[in-house]
Amino acid sequence: MMKLEAIIQPSRFESVKDALREAGIEGMTVTEVRGHGRQKGHTEVYRGREYTVDLLPKIKLEMVLPDKLVNTVVDTILKTAKTGKIGDGKIFLSRVDEAIRIRNEERGENAL
Amino acid sequence: MQGSVTPQSVLGPQADDERQRIRREFESGVSARQTVLSLCALADQKTQQVFEDALQTHTLSSSGLCLVALGGYGRRLLFPYSDLDILFLFGTEKAEQTFRPLISDFSRTLWDMGFRVSSAGRTIEECKRIEEDNIEFHLALLDRRFLAGDTELFNRLDTRILPTSEKAARPFLLAQLHKLTKDRLNRYGNTIFHLEPNVKDAPGGLRDYQAAAWLRQISENKQSLNITTAEEDLASGAVDFLSAIRCFLHYANGRNDNTLTYELQAAAADRSLGVSDGEARNAAEWMRLYFRHARTLNRLLLRYLEQKALVPQTFRQRIFNVARGPKTEPANGRPFGVRDGMFEVLNQPALSDRSQIFSMLTEAARAGIPLSRQAERCIAYIMQHPELTVSNAEVSWSSLREMLGADYPGFALRPMQRLGLLTEILPEFSRIDSLVVRDFYHRYTVDEHSLRTIEHLQELADPPDERAEHFQPLWRTVDRRDLLIFALLLHDVGKGMPVENHVAGSLEALASAAERLKLSEEEVAEVHFLIERHLDMSATMQRRDIFDPATVSGFAATVGNQERLQRLCLLTYADIHAVNPEALTPWKADMLWQLFVATSNHFSRTLDRDRVHAPDETSLLEQVRSVLDGGTTEEIERFLEGLPRRYLAVHSANDIAQHITMYRKLKADPVQIELRPSGRAFSLTLMTADRPSLFATIAGVLAGWGMNIIKADAFANAAGTVVDTFHFADLHRTLELNPTEIDRFRRSLVDVVNGKAPLQPLLQGRDKASRERPPKVAIETKFGFDDNSSEHSTLLEIVATDRPGLLYDIGSTLARLWCNIEVALIDTEGQKVIDVFYLTEQGKKLGAEKQAALFEALRAKLG
Repeated sequence: MMKLEAIIQPSRFESVKDALREAGIEGMTVTEVRGHGRQKGHTEVYRGREYTVDLLPKIKLEMVLPDKLVNTVVDTILKTAKTGKIGDGKIFLSRVDEAIRIRNEERGENAL
Repeated sequence: MQGSVTPQSVLGPQADDERQRIRREFESGVSARQTVLSLCALADQKTQQVFEDALQTHTLSSSGLCLVALGGYGRRLLFPYSDLDILFLFGTEKAEQTFRPLISDFSRTLWDMGFRVSSAGRTIEECKRIEEDNIEFHLALLDRRFLAGDTELFNRLDTRILPTSEKAARPFLLAQLHKLTKDRLNRYGNTIFHLEPNVKDAPGGLRDYQAAAWLRQISENKQSLNITTAEEDLASGAVDFLSAIRCFLHYANGRNDNTLTYELQAAAADRSLGVSDGEARNAAEWMRLYFRHARTLNRLLLRYLEQKALVPQTFRQRIFNVARGPKTEPANGRPFGVRDGMFEVLNQPALSDRSQIFSMLTEAARAGIPLSRQAERCIAYIMQHPELTVSNAEVSWSSLREMLGADYPGFALRPMQRLGLLTEILPEFSRIDSLVVRDFYHRYTVDEHSLRTIEHLQELADPPDERAEHFQPLWRTVDRRDLLIFALLLHDVGKGMPVENHVAGSLEALASAAERLKLSEEEVAEVHFLIERHLDMSATMQRRDIFDPATVSGFAATVGNQERLQRLCLLTYADIHAVNPEALTPWKADMLWQLFVATSNHFSRTLDRDRVHAPDETSLLEQVRSVLDGGTTEEIERFLEGLPRRYLAVHSANDIAQHITMYRKLKADPVQIELRPSGRAFSLTLMTADRPSLFATIAGVLAGWGMNIIKADAFANAAGTVVDTFHFADLHRTLELNPTEIDRFRRSLVDVVNGKAPLQPLLQGRDKASRERPPKVAIETKFGFDDNSSEHSTLLEIVATDRPGLLYDIGSTLARLWCNIEVALIDTEGQKVIDVFYLTEQGKKLGAEKQAALFEALRAKLG
């Protein structure tokens, strides 16, 4: 099992979600986050006051996947979240040792 | 202690059979009132039997111990899966030790029989003291009922101990009950209109009725509220209805779960739960019945809550308070006044003049002072008695817009909704009365959501949290707030109409309301825009890259102008906020703000980029022709050609026609002036041929007359005809109090602009006066030059503290340095002035040297 964390542009979220659903992925955790990588922020001036936008709004998706689905999901996110501009985000993958469904204590990939 | 003990293997199934029988009877139509009584009788019988058996098993007599039913069980209202609240009352501490093993067996047996026992143990001595950290226990004791055991012990508690301690602690109990109740109502957002309400604890739930009963029971003056028999009957009907739902929920869920979910709403509607007319209803209609009953119980509770909680007072304080009496502000001949921070009706018959009711509501909206329940009941009385003669029943748009445009419109609209006045004026709103629309995001009914949007905006006067801070200045300075509030009232009305897209329904509702209330074409267009586009800003910020200039530019093109943007932004803020308390996350609020700022800056920085090419504006040309008195299309085209597009965004076809009428007269009279009162300010349009220092000269004349410029814009067409519009406040009410001065003012303006009269004498008189009035708030003066936003001009943005004559100082400095103002946007926000000038020098952007010189000159002048 792998844990996938993807940081994407908020504007791409609906498309990514729809594409993942079409690929058979239903479960995911979505968080509104702020941050920046190489895409630095900028300063806006409104009515004489400066607003520094150094942390940009992003959406973080988290899901734990059976190994056989990892490539499909990564491809789907790459295809739908990419605009080609700086700030499109990143995908992180890490191995997961165990998953347990609290309701019935199922374990492993059955619990996903 | 004789007789045999019934084994649990017999008692348990007996209790189960009995419960099943009661459930079947309920499901076949027996009332909830009878059901809870039967469940209570079953619990009583089994409790007493198990207690007797336990005494026998432990070979004890009941002397020194009695069982007391508390809370709902004490009131004989036991719902299928409710707890059995039982107090073990001991005569002495020794008795407590003696009976401990018996109590343990007793409780276990009842649990095994399926009764959820929630017990407490106290000696009679302990019951004399009020446990300040356990107010719930004392409230439960108010509903005490003898269950089994030592009757003499119970009588001591019931007739001697508790009445004495409760009387002594009455103020404390009342204050605590008020606090508990208000905390509970707050937890549910102080509204009955939840999409999936908790029928026990949410506002309008059974707990409201019980809290009202406790307040009445504890209160000294039980008659003070004058609850009529009809009102009692209504409340009793509501309790029956909600009790039926609660029984149904317990049976359906198989546990003490009181949430009326969507699924169970449909199931309850299918079986016409709590309804005796036999009429079939869908879930939405059935929920409207629920909300009606919930409203009854909630109103009853609020009447009790409105009575002040007693606090202990010394004799001296009591004497002082009697002498002082309640604080009432003078009524000034009106049938209402403010008493203890709420509007009260002082002369009820006078309310048959409906304009008096609206006058009170408008005052409430203006001052942010709520109507008392007494005031609402007085209005309700008038409304519920059609035999009373009512005068001035029709409400004009001008009086409605005064109310909607006030700082606290929710203070009027909320009672209007409760009283049915809102749907009387705006019948379209009844489409969403208590309407449940099922989705995973909305927590409230559609009418509640709509009113909450307005309340979230009025909260911006004093921002409740960091999410609101950015939006406060927008609310304070928004233009035509009345139209924004009107749009919010109607934006979701379509959800209650048989249309595929609710926005289309809401627009239909707007059309009928606007015709009836006689809104002007321009007003209808603005509200139409807000309703039609009410989801656009939210969709753009969530589905588009708001940091992409193309997104901002496209969105700006949809919105059209700054004023609309400000209204749409506030509408979006309120609409998201009112979905549920968590919907407007700081993240979303920030995104909305970023989009607003980017679009607003786009408007002010791209003004001269888009110029009107008149022959392309076929639809506009048609509109202007239809309202213009004669003239040709060529004439209209000639006037419009080359004006910045913002001119079209801020002026209607009627305005343009008016300007063309002025344009025609320019040959005969080279300075045309149109002066109109606009609310508490004036609006001046001046048209003439462009010339150096023109803008500074007009600003100077206005300053000389003591007028404070709030807003201004200056446009020029391709032929060099200038259309300048100034909105100014008449600080000394010169024009308002001396109408004859209006002519002198106009003449003075024309003469100075034409060079027939000097400006300086006008200004000299004012200089001294303005120096004598220091500003209330000092704002740091800032100058910003921008060479990138415009292809042709250098943008200069100035932020400074407002003062009379400021614009003249800026304008004359620009003129002195030979800077030509291509476009100007002048705005104020409280004491802050925000001016944007598009400047050229000999048709080109300003060079670096000129910018430096201008910076120094302005800094010397403005500080």
